[in-house]
Amino acid sequence: MWFRRLLAVFSLLVPLVLLAIAVFLTYYAWPAIHYNGLDFLWRETWNIGNQYANPVHRHGETVMPGARFGILFLIVGTLGSAFLALLMAFPLGLGAALFLSEVVPHRFGHLVSFFVELLAGIPSVVFGLWGIVFLIPFLGHHIFPVLAGMFPFIPFLARPTGSGYGLLTSSLVLCLMIVPFIAATLRDALRSQSTEMREAGISLGATRFEVATRILLPGQKTALVGATMLAFGRALGETMAVLMVSGNALNYLPHNIYSPISTMAAFIVAQLDSALADPTGMAMRSLAEIAVLLLVISFIINGAARLLIGTLKEHTL
Amino acid sequence: MSKLRTRPLVRLTALAAVVLAGLCALAPVPVQARTTHLIETGSTLLYPLFNLWVPTYTATHPGIRITTEATGSGTGIAQAVAGLVQFGASDAYLSPTLQRLHPGLLNIPLAISSQMVNYNLPGLNRRSLRLSGPVLAAIYAGRIRDWNAPAIRALNPGLPLPHHRILPIHRSDGSGDTFIFTQYLSFSTPVWMNATGYGTTVSWPAIRGEIGATGNPGMVQALATNPYAIAYIGVSYRSAILKDHLGQAQLENRAGRFVPLTGSTVAAAVAARAPHTPPDQSISLVFAPGANAYPIINYEYVIVKEHQPSRRMALAIRRFLEWAIAPTGGNAPSFLNRVGFAPLPAQAIRQSRRQIVKIH
Repeated sequence: MWFRRLLAVFSLLVPLVLLAIAVFLTYYAWPAIHYNGLDFLWRETWNIGNQYANPVHRHGETVMPGARFGILFLIVGTLGSAFLALLMAFPLGLGAALFLSEVVPHRFGHLVSFFVELLAGIPSVVFGLWGIVFLIPFLGHHIFPVLAGMFPFIPFLARPTGSGYGLLTSSLVLCLMIVPFIAATLRDALRSQSTEMREAGISLGATRFEVATRILLPGQKTALVGATMLAFGRALGETMAVLMVSGNALNYLPHNIYSPISTMAAFIVAQLDSALADPTGMAMRSLAEIAVLLLVISFIINGAARLLIGTLKEHTL
Repeated sequence: MSKLRTRPLVRLTALAAVVLAGLCALAPVPVQARTTHLIETGSTLLYPLFNLWVPTYTATHPGIRITTEATGSGTGIAQAVAGLVQFGASDAYLSPTLQRLHPGLLNIPLAISSQMVNYNLPGLNRRSLRLSGPVLAAIYAGRIRDWNAPAIRALNPGLPLPHHRILPIHRSDGSGDTFIFTQYLSFSTPVWMNATGYGTTVSWPAIRGEIGATGNPGMVQALATNPYAIAYIGVSYRSAILKDHLGQAQLENRAGRFVPLTGSTVAAAVAARAPHTPPDQSISLVFAPGANAYPIINYEYVIVKEHQPSRRMALAIRRFLEWAIAPTGGNAPSFLNRVGFAPLPAQAIRQSRRQIVKIH
């Protein structure tokens, strides 16, 4: 009996901690939510105000003069980089999963799988450092100018190509981080399908490609959606690697795919030190408001993934 | 599938082990009786100097242990206010509002730092470009876009400046370097003062091609990998700039003269500005008058609470700070030269001592 109770306490602990964090953050951010209003989402200026002037009262809150907080540029940067990363990572991850489960012999497949999982376990700061030292100079000086030269007629791909820090570089680093995640999940899902399905397909004269795309993948819609959504969630919340390669744009929207950006998660880290020096505390509370928003977005994404998986399961049954 | 199912359990166990290990590490370790533990956190610019000081000081003062952390000036101030650390290191003095909110807080200068303006201009890095506050403000506001703009050419007659877009690099994290750089722009250029002002983070005007970098090492890295970029970097990183063969500008001072960053130009600025330091030592040394004065220098502060929880703690703090500002102690050239700092002038030492004795 005591064992059961102990387990119940432990299992309750996790949701309670989550709830406590959400409640505390919202409570802490409340004055900022009140001060910033809905403009928070549409404005593209983040200004903590003149720290060496006297505080003023505005909208019932004490703030430093000139303090205005808007994060439109962060929302665009976060969604843009994560979406672009997913666009590149999905075909790669799917291809890797098919290759691992359908093409290579099992023994060799294990070795490759090991490396895929290893890639998934690398701390993100390592990706960031590699991005700064190698990827940025390489992309900025060799790849981006060529890319822009090839597609001068597509607005988002045209010049100027900038320095290498920016949206596309962030997306590439994020892509590398989520590919193994997608690949490993889909590989397991594909492997779980019975051999009979494959044999039946091949005996009907289908090629391996047809077996994979017409028989195996349609049976794994839920895994496809789930892996994609969770990968998207991971890309949205990634902090360190993006902080290092995004160019940390402040107060403006990307005008093309090479522009510097900043994301919500990275911005919290970058601005923490300045915000701490704000005597009115409004800068810190506004950072907390970003954190609340991140929390809400990840709730929505996970919830949507579950809903979709639920409806898909009903359809396949 | 079974492999997948067991994973959460394995993860949970691993997590529990990590948490337990962490708790064990946090548990009070039996320390030697009468050891006083002081913690310093804050400015990454002051951090290397503290790391030179601490081993020397603790070697001769066995009852003292000092931990140093590089977190950032804002964190240094906030943690000193909260009483989490004894020394909050900051490149910027306390704002009037902070001083009013926390009356028992002292900002005590420990040394004098300066800032370089560096650039990466292929073929021209060995030539010292001349730049002025208004020109830098125009570059960072996006009004001057190219290296061969008339305003830059006028300051550098005869130099073959390239027709290439300037990439301004600024700090994206909160930084004392941003504070003194934007003070130079503000004090020399009224337009900048009114539009953007100064602070550890400012709302930088949006410019195409600008780069945000984290920390001084990030600034050096971004500058080295981006030809045609310009950046402001703390003097402690001079060796990194020299190693990467990057350019260093001569800056226009208040007297309208262009001066390089040298020991004598910093000393001239200190001599001109330091005598005006008020008793609470909150003063900007930026844009000092004098024909030979270098325009971007600043006091490196330590933020300390006047009232300490115990006499022993207060005594340990006072002794360490007395040693740190003494010309024969922490302000000796053997320490300061290694990080490019200048010593406090005699008057500042006297003022710092008057503040230090308030700690009780």
